[in-house]
Amino acid sequence: MIPYVNEYDTPECNTLAETAKKSIRTPASLGLDRCIQCGACTASCPAARFTDYSPRQIVKKVMENDRSVLESEMIWSCFYCYSCNVRCPRNNSPVTIVQVLRQMAINEGIGVEKLAYFLEIGEYLAENGASKVPGAGVKNMERDLGERWIRFKKNLESTRVELGLSSRDIRNTNGEVQAILEATGYFEREKWIKAKIQEKRLHRLLKNQCINKENKSGDFSFESDREYSGQPAFTI
Amino acid sequence: MKAIESIPDSQLLLFKSCMVGQEYPGVETSTRYVFDRLGVDYCINDKQSCCTGIGHYTDVFEGLTTTAIAARNFAVARSCGYPNITCLCSTCYAINKEACEVLNTNTEIREKVNSIFREQGLENLVYEKDDMNPRTNFYHAVEILLSKVNEIQKQKKFDFSGVKAAAHHACHYYKVKYLDVLGNPENPQLIDTIAAACGAEPVRWYEDRTLTCGMGFSQLHLNKDTSLQVTKTKLDSLQKAGVELMIHMCPNCHIQYDRYQPVIEEEFDVKYDMVHMNIAQFVALSMGAHPYKVCGFQTHSVPLEEFLEKKGIV
Ligand code: SF4
Ligand code: SF4
Repeated sequence: MIPYVNEYDTPECNTLAETAKKSIRTPASLGLDRCIQCGACTASCPAARFTDYSPRQIVKKVMENDRSVLESEMIWSCFYCYSCNVRCPRNNSPVTIVQVLRQMAINEGIGVEKLAYFLEIGEYLAENGASKVPGAGVKNMERDLGERWIRFKKNLESTRVELGLSSRDIRNTNGEVQAILEATGYFEREKWIKAKIQEKRLHRLLKNQCINKENKSGDFSFESDREYSGQPAFTI
Repeated sequence: MKAIESIPDSQLLLFKSCMVGQEYPGVETSTRYVFDRLGVDYCINDKQSCCTGIGHYTDVFEGLTTTAIAARNFAVARSCGYPNITCLCSTCYAINKEACEVLNTNTEIREKVNSIFREQGLENLVYEKDDMNPRTNFYHAVEILLSKVNEIQKQKKFDFSGVKAAAHHACHYYKVKYLDVLGNPENPQLIDTIAAACGAEPVRWYEDRTLTCGMGFSQLHLNKDTSLQVTKTKLDSLQKAGVELMIHMCPNCHIQYDRYQPVIEEEFDVKYDMVHMNIAQFVALSMGAHPYKVCGFQTHSVPLEEFLEKKGIV
């Protein structure tokens, strides 16, 4: 399948940096070229705290135009919490750069399996004008949250009425949201993503059912801060 | 930085939140309860759709879709005469504010969005540059509450004195458009100030005060372990600080803390003593609202019965 073209999120440019700067996802003032690799972003990052993820390294890869970053599992660990955004002293925004990288990865069919979970959101929005936790998420939540939550969900409509609200949160969008999703290419892209997921599943099935899963939790050819022994201490 | 004097109290479109509507509907009714009593001029319009935040930040929506949906909601706000979009959810706030900026400054995208509207026969939705102002047309409901804090204090029916309360200030309010917020994003006091006005004793400097809640959009579902570890870090430090009540300003954080606290207790074999509320529920309660008929505490995962009894509210 040919790569998907996603004009505004990932405008075609010569370098990753140019694409990131031009993308609708990043601020116009993006300070990517101003990055001084200070690491304030990584120091502030919840994902870096608990995994090997590092926004500073991601920014470095982008500045070096190293497209292998798109294949890295790392880009899928960001919380979109914007802590790096607020802390960066150079008005760079690793969080929005990661958003662009994920979109670029998706266009090439990388990581699309991860979206399978959330695709329902679009259809539900078109129909009801509101979003909801997708079905698979609801199943997870039922398993995690147990009886109390299931009971509350069952009673949601009557609870809402008790509170003086309409029984269901459905918006009156007059088909306009549906039309916008249609015309901005949402459904076309959703179809492409679904087909891509299928294709990948089939491919994997045919190729190797029994090869051990690569361990994807590690460091992905990123320089590792841990291996850097540092400069020898200056002693007087 | 936003000036508190500039926060409006009229022509507010109370922007419905999907996660509020489906998980904590009492947050909407509490906000209305409080706004009604404070004489805030607001409206709720069913034509307003979801901001797309959930789809946008789980990477399934493209920026163009998000921006076009936002432009439609701006048209809804303007056409009903309530152009000051006031959000219950910090992600709605960030998405709308950013989309407005894009529409004003990026001519190519604005024209693309408008051409789509025209093609679809939706001329009424067309957005002209500066139809909305990203700084003066977008608010979070908690900002309105802060601007009315003296009035809240005057109307207070129940005093939370002695309650050790800690705030969790939402990332998508403080860290996205961080130059246009009330106060300092490194030392947010928005919720604390309101809580103090209702008599509570805010716990100011607990560890990891500005740490994210851990929901992380796709993270809760794709990387649940890390997601819950982040949440646990915060709950641990609150427990250490002796916090009884955690106050939020975003339904996503609310889900993560309230719904997942019992899960973390079980999975990590820990025990927490705090309960959770949205700031609007807290203020409503202090102004005399019914805990179940207005605040909707029956939808919470961490039961509040004991807390409410102990404090003499029920
Ligand atoms: S905080 Fe900013 S300047 Fe420092 S490394 Fe991160 S992106 Fe670069
Ligand atoms: S937004 Fe992503 S990269 Fe930035 S601090 Fe949060 S988790 Fe880290």
